Amino acid sequence: MLKVNNLHVYYGGIHALKGVSLEVNKGEIVSIIGSNGAGKSTLLNAISGFLRYKEGEILYHNNKLAPTPNKIVKQGICHVPEGRLIFANLSVYDNLIMGSYIRNDKAKIKEDIEKMYTLFPRLKEREKQIAGTLSGGEQQMLAIARGLMSSPEIILLDEPSLGLAPLLVQTVFDIITDIRKMGKTILLVEQNAFKALSIADKAYVLEQGRIIMEGEAKEIAENPRIREAYLGSKKV
Amino acid sequence: MTQFFQQFINGLSIGSVYALMAVGYSLVYSIMNFSNFSHGGVIMFGAYFGYFLLTIYKLPFSVAFIGAALLTALMAVVIERVAYTPLRERKAPYLYFIISAMGASIFLENIIIATIGPTFRTYPEIFSKTPFKLGVLSVGRLDVLMFVTSAICLALLIYIIEYTKIGKAIRATAYNIKASALMGVNTNVIIIIVFALGGFLAGIAGVMFGMKYTVYPQIGAITLKSFIAAVFGGLGSLQGAVVGSILLGIIETFTAGYLSSQYRDLIAFALLIGVLVVRPMGLMGKATEDKA
Repeated sequence: MLKVNNLHVYYGGIHALKGVSLEVNKGEIVSIIGSNGAGKSTLLNAISGFLRYKEGEILYHNNKLAPTPNKIVKQGICHVPEGRLIFANLSVYDNLIMGSYIRNDKAKIKEDIEKMYTLFPRLKEREKQIAGTLSGGEQQMLAIARGLMSSPEIILLDEPSLGLAPLLVQTVFDIITDIRKMGKTILLVEQNAFKALSIADKAYVLEQGRIIMEGEAKEIAENPRIREAYLGSKKV
Repeated sequence: MTQFFQQFINGLSIGSVYALMAVGYSLVYSIMNFSNFSHGGVIMFGAYFGYFLLTIYKLPFSVAFIGAALLTALMAVVIERVAYTPLRERKAPYLYFIISAMGASIFLENIIIATIGPTFRTYPEIFSKTPFKLGVLSVGRLDVLMFVTSAICLALLIYIIEYTKIGKAIRATAYNIKASALMGVNTNVIIIIVFALGGFLAGIAGVMFGMKYTVYPQIGAITLKSFIAAVFGGLGSLQGAVVGSILLGIIETFTAGYLSSQYRDLIAFALLIGVLVVRPMGLMGKATEDKA
């Protein structure tokens, strides 16, 4: 469904992605793990159209992706960015409405907002509140709900567990599995490799702009080198 | 007491036109984070558009009025495309935008001087000079037009920004341009709409100022006042710009009425400095810190 071939991205003089290739199939949760600065967010930003790439291609349903972020959203790819970037000056409800910006089916949008409120009851309670007043966890829920409002086929999640209390981290990962059950495809970028690998089907390990390992999430989770680098070196 | 109300009404009328111009500053600032100093030149063009549509093309007043506003909106968009789009594409620092804006402002003023000439021109008399009588108070017909038109335009603008889909997209883009693009908003179009809205109101203000005073290439300097008002109310906040402008208009007319018109600008600028010292974000400005 989404295919990245030999992608090279430069940030000014820095060669941030050095020939990254990956593939996401319909209905999968694919996780990209890697440390800070490995190029994870760069990869997502390139897919969602914020970064130009010099070499390589990104294919979606075997066609080249549109050139600008707003057109890419319309093709069915939604990016929930790192740091959430909710609209802190708008109400929770208006954030969800903004999520549905590309859609014109008013009745269906209303229905979907209700769906989001069932998925995230906290948002219903805070519907009229200005989003900037939400807690970190609630803001993350809102960012995910807002992303889903564009009714995407595939959702790119960038560090959804960042800065959340452990209990909330679990909730976020539970929600990600719920979203998959809704028939969505998920590309998940995480530093919390242990959690990410536990829910993913497939995983890629990104290091200094290169994919150094790929495979079934279970296999990667059992790989000694990965265990040492990302999961803590405890022997089981 | 009569003088008090008289000054108050005059202040409202002039303040409401400041507001028309101030919201232009605020709209652009809220999205692009720089003070668009070419706005004065745009207002000056509005005054000239109105003047020529009335005198050369002999259009009826209402048609000329709206026509001038539309032309001015177009003008503002053209300036954005020529002077700011290239900077945006290169992700230039905000200071460069301000410099480009000042350059545009000087260019606009001089193109008028070079082509039309520096002379003062007077709008044809459209409204009778005899004022309305409200008991002991007398209100100029033009002042009524200024207040009513401004109030309608501002109410419409605030309605658009607060309640329509485009307005929400504008506010979302103002908060975070990247997040807005992630929602599928074409942020280039939003910027064009913002300049068009600001330009339209600038055209309305330009025509009304042209009628109240005269038309000349430096008439745009009057926007310095509305810029002060926008900062006073809080740059980036529409409601702030309106409140700041009305207050400034009232303070000005009271100073002129009770002290001397020579003190008018002194007080206005002292007010700006005072506000910046005590409350740098203005009366209703957006807090600049980002969360998470």
